[in-house]
Amino acid sequence: MSAVLLSLFQVFFLMALAPAVSWFIKKMKAASQNRVGPSLIQAYADLWKLFRKDMVIPETASWIFHAMPWVLFASTLAAASMVPVLWTRSLFGFTGDVILFVYLLALGRFFLALAALDTGTTFGGMGSSREMTLSSLAEPALLLAFFALSFRARTLSLESMSVYFASEPPMQVLFFTSLAFGALLIVTITESGRIPLDNPATHLELTMIHEAMILEYSGRYLALIEWSHQIKQLVFLTLLADLFFPWGIAAAGDFPALGFSLVFFLAKIFILAFVVGWIEIHSSKLRLFRAPDLLAVAFVLAILSLLGQLIIGRGL
Amino acid sequence: MKPVPEMLKEKFGGVVQKHWEESARQWHVLVAKDSIVRVAEFLIGTFAMRFLFLSGSDTRKENGFFSLYYVFSFAHEDRFLIVQTRVEEKDPRFPSLSRFLPQANWQEREVQDMLGLVAAGHPDPRRLVLHEDWPPGIFPLRKDFDGRQKIPRVAGDYIFERVEGEGIFEIPVGPVHAGIIEPGHFRFSCAGESILKLEIRHFYTHKGTEKAGEGKKPDHLLCLAERISGDNSLAHAVACAQALENLGEIEVPPRARFLRVIFLEMERIHNHMSDIAGISLDVAFSFGASQLMRLKETLLRANERLTGTRLLRSVAALGGVRRDITEEQKEWLLGEIGKIKEDFDETIRILWQMDSLMDRIEITGALKKEVVEALGGVGPIARASGVDRDMRREHPYAAYKDLLFRVPVFTDGDVESRMKVKVREVCESFRLIHDALQTMPAGPLCGAPKPFRPFRSALGYTESPRGECFHWVETGRDGNIVRWKVQSPSFANWPLIEYAVLENIIPDFPLINKSMNLSYSGNDR
Repeated sequence: MSAVLLSLFQVFFLMALAPAVSWFIKKMKAASQNRVGPSLIQAYADLWKLFRKDMVIPETASWIFHAMPWVLFASTLAAASMVPVLWTRSLFGFTGDVILFVYLLALGRFFLALAALDTGTTFGGMGSSREMTLSSLAEPALLLAFFALSFRARTLSLESMSVYFASEPPMQVLFFTSLAFGALLIVTITESGRIPLDNPATHLELTMIHEAMILEYSGRYLALIEWSHQIKQLVFLTLLADLFFPWGIAAAGDFPALGFSLVFFLAKIFILAFVVGWIEIHSSKLRLFRAPDLLAVAFVLAILSLLGQLIIGRGL
Repeated sequence: MKPVPEMLKEKFGGVVQKHWEESARQWHVLVAKDSIVRVAEFLIGTFAMRFLFLSGSDTRKENGFFSLYYVFSFAHEDRFLIVQTRVEEKDPRFPSLSRFLPQANWQEREVQDMLGLVAAGHPDPRRLVLHEDWPPGIFPLRKDFDGRQKIPRVAGDYIFERVEGEGIFEIPVGPVHAGIIEPGHFRFSCAGESILKLEIRHFYTHKGTEKAGEGKKPDHLLCLAERISGDNSLAHAVACAQALENLGEIEVPPRARFLRVIFLEMERIHNHMSDIAGISLDVAFSFGASQLMRLKETLLRANERLTGTRLLRSVAALGGVRRDITEEQKEWLLGEIGKIKEDFDETIRILWQMDSLMDRIEITGALKKEVVEALGGVGPIARASGVDRDMRREHPYAAYKDLLFRVPVFTDGDVESRMKVKVREVCESFRLIHDALQTMPAGPLCGAPKPFRPFRSALGYTESPRGECFHWVETGRDGNIVRWKVQSPSFANWPLIEYAVLENIIPDFPLINKSMNLSYSGNDR
């Protein structure tokens, strides 16, 4: 029972932490521009404000428009409940959850793109078409990276993979998985809609990808979408932490281990967020037609990671 | 060589009804309406003159006709040739130049809309300035139109040119945009992300500024001129002041000429910095953008400290300038400029080293030289496409004759070239300010005004940060201002964007637009 509670707590913990991670990257960007940036409370106040605001619903909107925020939020939470956070168990972990994880995110995205088309506005269609182009390239890279890792860990369960990598000597883990890490990092940046693939801060509709799809949303729906987006970003960072830097994660649900794990987890997440923020500050956005190149790099990295293990074998 | 008007008389005989000199640098010829095309072709073909703009005015009260003024630049002799013609109210047609001179397209359509004359043979005679909700038969620049009345709106649709075919769709953008910018409509025809055609529809901020200028006192006209385009305030004011000084034969004292150069170049620097910052921001490289905006702010504060106004409003006066730079301020400004230049150079160095930024701006939005010349492109945009032209050098005004500066020209015509031109111009402006401060003679700030003579017209111009900016003023019976025409660089350059975006993709449009950074207000007036 307490195991279930603890796993449930993990999901709530991710939900609560997600805005703070986005805030951290914003703050970094502000520092690079000689600005002070928003306070931490702002990240939560913005969501709270949106939840209480009235919504403006386009006249042309069908049920898809209304269903999308809930589907997106639910699918993101379902995906979030498959990753181990503070201890090596997750709420819905089972063998094969890696694949379900990928397609739960795809479900959310499918509805996101559909809802953008639903209202029939100019920018929505543009956003969906771009999102689909990029995700059709990001998805194989993500799956292949997972397969490369699961090939090494001999399991298709995120929980067991995390346990496996935590037990392997760090040097060996790095040697085999650094390529897959590169692939997953690129996918993380894509999925969280960040520079160099998308610009979360722009007001230029013609250049948008993710933002273009949600232009028609306001109030509670927008809050749900924004929040899911932040949770998705944190889930990807958590995945990176689980699979590549699993050290410190609690093996059992007892108190000192969990406290220890919490400190490690926060450190890992903010270091990874720092990396994402650093990339965002130090690069400009890619030309849309160059974005597939970057995702192709992710794909090739994932393949190389897989092939490397096939050729050299597990024995090393 | 004989003066051009006399050669015209020899060549065309009776077609040239009259020729005279209105001021030392302004030749006028009055030609028959039907031979405008021939004369224009001859001037451009034989003398390599450049057509600048077309102004029309309602002079029915004075001579019973509408007057059209075709202004040409004769850079070899630093003169302007104004070809005048008369159009009767009963037969309001005038021959269109647009077929052989595409840059006359918007000019002629503006005359059509505002004066009710008809450009015969114009390839695209749709409305331009007045939209379809403006009732037909009402022409704002005619003297019998009262600018203060409210006009009832009518229904009507603008027909966009369509591109048809499988998979081709239209993207309407604007006139209301996200972000705090002015209104303008852009209609893209696209296949996927590729732009097949862009049609722009502007003039949403048409305020009747030219009409409002009629009957105004010269000082008031200057105030209006400053408000045509907010960030090019001084360039417009100086151009307008020069037109008025030309009219009243007012001598601008040397110190005022140098001060004008200093302030005009200050304006150029802060405009260009903001443009480069915009390019950096549009490719999502916010570091460069924020550094350049910070520098721009420093400049604006320097402006405020020197003149009491950030955007140099009320600095230009009829006959000179209103504000002096004291010896103490001079030393301070030299120090400040030095610091800003250092920071600017460093920021630009970082920008040029950014591979991801360079990748975005190379090749993007390329404009060919032929296109720029045919459409009469001006300013940094023209210079980025290999058109070596700058009013400060071709027709020097203020104190530019006494100062050394280079006119940077690049040939690729893409966003990168436009950015390079602006970066280099900023460097030249820093030097100009430095030199002007050092060599500025002592003396009065303002020449004495004289009453304007009746039935005169005069041209004033500056090379504003966006390019050539012309002001054309005509006086009536009592020497009062009866017509004021403003040819802003944005009016000349907007049509270019339709060509710059071809073979580019939709998400690169904002970047191309920003690299040109044209003014809506200056265009719409």
